[in-house]
Amino acid sequence: MSLRTLFEWVDAFPSSIAMREHLYAFPALLTLHLISLAMFAGLVVMMDLRLLGVAFRGTPFSEVQRRLFPWQIVGFVVTSIAGLLLLYAQPMRYFGKVLYWIKIALILLAGVNMFVFHFTTNRKVAEWDTSGPPLGAKVAGGLSVFFWAGVVVFGRLTAYEWWTYE
Amino acid sequence: MLLPLFEWLDTFRVGDWISTSSWAAPVVNVMHIVALVFVIGSLLIVDVRLLGRGMTHQPVATVARDARPWLIAALICMLLTGFPQLLSLPIRQYYSPFFWMKMRLLLVALIFTFTLRHKVTMADEARVGPVWGKVVGLVSIALWTLVAVEGRFIGLFS
Repeated sequence: MSLRTLFEWVDAFPSSIAMREHLYAFPALLTLHLISLAMFAGLVVMMDLRLLGVAFRGTPFSEVQRRLFPWQIVGFVVTSIAGLLLLYAQPMRYFGKVLYWIKIALILLAGVNMFVFHFTTNRKVAEWDTSGPPLGAKVAGGLSVFFWAGVVVFGRLTAYEWWTYE
Repeated sequence: MLLPLFEWLDTFRVGDWISTSSWAAPVVNVMHIVALVFVIGSLLIVDVRLLGRGMTHQPVATVARDARPWLIAALICMLLTGFPQLLSLPIRQYYSPFFWMKMRLLLVALIFTFTLRHKVTMADEARVGPVWGKVVGLVSIALWTLVAVEGRFIGLFS
């Protein structure tokens, strides 16, 4: 099954059609998606500022990371569910949008950055936890701000009919 | 009462340029939303701490003092990217109930944040007690969430 067949298959679901035609489903889900994304990305960016060594310098990085983690997860779960429901309601609207797929790619890149950091620089966190972060930590923090800001930018631009194929 | 002010705002050429350009309005709006992420982040990190969760390793005052310059910088970016959006379609904003609701809530949220919330975050925690911090944290989250929701509604329903 190609991706297009999958999207077309979902597009014909009665529940997908019902959501698409519901007057308030789209604005309600979009608002929930944005607010929870701002909460998730906002707390990730605050942690990244600590990684970059420009904010919350008096708090060990591991402490910032560990304490914000559950709240970031809540934001991520809510924004993901709202986002998946938006996609479920209008799969063919997003399928042909290059800007949408750039957003998805940026989410994956942010995830890869997170895992690479977790298994490299973060393994020796005890050595730099209270002092200035090493280059690896700054790179990970900078990339994270860049990727998540990109997700927000391309998510917003998905609303426009730019760069759209059939 | 304020209609003449909005009609005057409507006479600025730069507003016409933003509303007729194919890219100016989206670019300004995108910057507004990136700034929103920083506003919400720098508020929430403190509000969560006020609720007695999050970075409990540190006193509330330390978290608040660390977050404050980022909050103020992000709010200035919000203003700088928000005003051009008002200037692009002032008459439409004037007749949008969501615009007025957002402005009222924003005013309340700003006053609350820089008076009561500031006072509670900077005060001695033993003196404030466990309840007031939680109330202030919850009110802060509720107020700013509503400001963001009304902002989103301006774009969706006008």
